[in-house]
Amino acid sequence: MLRDTAPTAPASQQQLPFAEPMPLTRPLLVAPKQVRRLWFCIWLPNLPLEACGSSDEALAIVEEQHGIHRVLQVDPVAAAVGIMPGQSANAALALLPTLRLEERSRVREQQVLEALATWLERFSSFVSIAGKDVLLLEIGGSLRLFGGLRSLRQTLSKDLDAKGFSAAMAIAPTPLAATWLARAGRRACIRAEENLGPALRKLPLSCLDWSAGQCESLTGMGIHTVGDCLRLPRAGFARRFGAKRLLDLDRALGHLPDPRDSWRAPERFCADHEMVEEQSDRELLLQICRELLLLHEQFLLARQLGTQRLCFSFFHLKSVATELRLGSTFADRSAERWFDLLNIRFEQFRLPEAVIAVRLQSGLSQPLQAESAHLCFDNKAGIQRRRFSIAQLAERLVARIGDHSVNALATVAEHRPEYAWSLQNPLSDVSSSTLMTCDGVARPLWMLSEPALLPADGDYPLHKGCRLTLLDGPERLETGWWDEQGISRDYYTAVNGAGMRLWVFRNRQRTPNWYLHGIFG
Amino acid sequence: MSLEKLLENPRVWRGSCQASTRAGLASGYPKLDRCLPGGGWPQQALTEILTDQYGIGELRLLMPALAELSTEETHYGEQTEPGWIAWIAPPFQPYAPALQQSGIDLSRMLIVRPKDDSDLLWSAEQALSSGTCVAVLLWPDKLDDQGSRRLQLAAEKGHSWAIAFRPLTARQQPSAAALRLELQSTGQGTRVHILKSRGGRPAVLDSLL
Repeated sequence: MLRDTAPTAPASQQQLPFAEPMPLTRPLLVAPKQVRRLWFCIWLPNLPLEACGSSDEALAIVEEQHGIHRVLQVDPVAAAVGIMPGQSANAALALLPTLRLEERSRVREQQVLEALATWLERFSSFVSIAGKDVLLLEIGGSLRLFGGLRSLRQTLSKDLDAKGFSAAMAIAPTPLAATWLARAGRRACIRAEENLGPALRKLPLSCLDWSAGQCESLTGMGIHTVGDCLRLPRAGFARRFGAKRLLDLDRALGHLPDPRDSWRAPERFCADHEMVEEQSDRELLLQICRELLLLHEQFLLARQLGTQRLCFSFFHLKSVATELRLGSTFADRSAERWFDLLNIRFEQFRLPEAVIAVRLQSGLSQPLQAESAHLCFDNKAGIQRRRFSIAQLAERLVARIGDHSVNALATVAEHRPEYAWSLQNPLSDVSSSTLMTCDGVARPLWMLSEPALLPADGDYPLHKGCRLTLLDGPERLETGWWDEQGISRDYYTAVNGAGMRLWVFRNRQRTPNWYLHGIFG
Repeated sequence: MSLEKLLENPRVWRGSCQASTRAGLASGYPKLDRCLPGGGWPQQALTEILTDQYGIGELRLLMPALAELSTEETHYGEQTEPGWIAWIAPPFQPYAPALQQSGIDLSRMLIVRPKDDSDLLWSAEQALSSGTCVAVLLWPDKLDDQGSRRLQLAAEKGHSWAIAFRPLTARQQPSAAALRLELQSTGQGTRVHILKSRGGRPAVLDSLL
C-alpha cells in the first residue's frame, strides 16, 4: 500500500497545530510564512502544427513512421475536408491536392518552446521547460503582482491565444500534478495540497505520459486511474513498473520534493556610455570603447560565455546613430582581442558628427570554448611562438579589407579548366580538395579569369603582334554537355617571341577562334 | 704582423666570411643554390624578384621551395603543423590544379586581394609577422625603400619569407631586401641575374629555367 510507509511531507503538517502559535490579536503583518509553491502548467498539444506558424492554406504536419509519412496533425481547414491524423501523406494529398505538407521538426518545436519560455519569464521568476510540449511556471510568488490567480490565468490565456497557441492549463501545488491535470484537459485549479489527492485519483492513466506498454499492462490488470495505482502495494508496483513510476506518483502527490531546472534566456550585453558634451576626439572615443569592452568581458566572464558579434552605436545629437559591427570567427570575450579588431576597423571608420553617447551591444552569447593552459611553463628554445592563429590573421585581414578579399583555394573534380578550382572560406576546417589527375599534362600556374580572344594569322594565333609557336598539344577537352556550359577545345602550350609560355586553346564549336586561357608562371 | 693576427682585428671585413650562418632553403635548382650564401633562399628575410614579364618561370623558380614549405611541419608551441602561404594581390588567379601538380598542399594557401597599395603592404606585414605564414608572396604596384624595410623587419619578426615581385625599373631603387634577382627571357630560356645577395656575390645564371 502506498500508505504503509509513513510519508515524510505530511508528517510536518501533522505537527503543524503544535508549532503554530495561537495569535492573541490579529497580526498586523503577514507572518513570514514560507510562500506556498503553486505551479501553473501550460500544455501545448498542437505544438507541431502551431510551430509552423499560421496561414490560410490547408496545412498538415507529417512524420515518418516505419518508412511511411503519416499525417500527425492537421489545421481546421484541412480537417474540414476530411484529412485526419494517421492517414498517409498520399491519401491526404488525394483528398486535397493543394494541401501543404510540412515535415515535423522537433528542433523548430524546441525553439518555439524556448521563445515562449523567454516570454513567460515576465510572469514568473521560475519558468521550466518540462518535456517536449509542456511549460511550467511557479506562480506562488507572482500572484500578488498580477492581481490574483484568476487575473493571471486570464492574461496568460488571452496572450497565448493572441500568439496563436491553443494551450491546456492547470494549476496545482506540485509540478507533476499540474502537468497531469493539464494533459487530462481539466481546467483545474487546486491550491491546497489536501485537495490534490482526490483530484488526481480520478485522472485516467493516459494523461501521465507513461509508456504505452506500461499503460496497456496496467489496463490489463484493471487499473484505469491514478487512484487505482495508488491502491496497489508499493513494493510490488515498484518491482513491476520501475521505481521511477512510484517516484512519479509520490512527487505528484507532494510526498517527495520535485526539483526542476529553471529556464534562463540567453543573455545579451548592452551598456551605454554617455558624455557630458559632444566629443569628436577619436582617441577618447576609442578609450571609451575599450572601457565598454572591459565591462563586456566581465559580464561574459561571470557567465562563462563568449560572443561572436558586437555592435557599437555612436549617437549624435542631430543625426541618426552610426553603427560599427564587428564579427569574430569563434565565440570570444577577451576585451583585448575585440579591441584589436575594433582598432583596425576604426582607422577607416568615418563619423559624420561629434558623438554624445556610445553603446555596446553584444550578439547572442554562447558557451565559451576555452583552451586549457599548459601545465608546464617551459619555453623550449628554438620553438617558434605563434603570435596569432590563421583564424585570427584572416579575421584581421577581413576586418580591414572586406569579406570577400580573403580566400583559400581548393580543386574540384571537373575536367573543364575554369571549373576545376574554387575559392573557399579560409576558416572552414575541412578542405574539400579532390585529387584530380590531369594525366601528367601540365597545367599553367596562372589562370586568366576569362579566356581572352587572340587574333589569328591564318591558322596561327598571334600574341602581342607576333606568331605563337605551338610547343605541345593538342589536348582535347570535350565535356560539360550536360549543362549549358559545354566545351569542345584543343589546348596547346605555346611560346611567344618574348619567351612567355602560354596556355592557349582553339574552339572547336561554332567559330574556330583562338583564346589565351593561362600562363605558365 | 702575421696574417692570423691581422685577421683577428675586428676592423678587418672579409667578404666571403660574411655568409649568414643561417642555412637557406634549398631552391630545387642546384645551380642557383651554389650562388646563394646559405645554400638556398634566405629565410626570415625579403627576396625581391624583378621582372616585366609573366610566364617566363617566375613562379616555377619558387615552386620546389614553396612545395617543401607547405608540407613541412613547423613547430608552434606544442603543436606542429604546416605553415600557410599567403598570396597578396597576385596579377592573375593562381590555378589550384597546377599548384597541386607542383606538390603544394592547397589547404595551406591564402589568397588576399587588397583594395590598394597601402592595404597591400599592411596585409603583407600582418601575414609576415603573424608567425602563421611561412611564406608571403606579394605583387605591389609601388614599393619604396621604407616599405621594403618594413617587410624585411616583419619577415624577421614572424620567422617568415617575403617574396616581392617588382618591375625591372625598381632596379635603380635602393632596397632592404636580402636577395634581389632579375629575371629576363633570352632566346635560350630565362636568365637569372643575382643583383644583390647579402653575404654573397652578384652572379648571372644563363638559361636556368
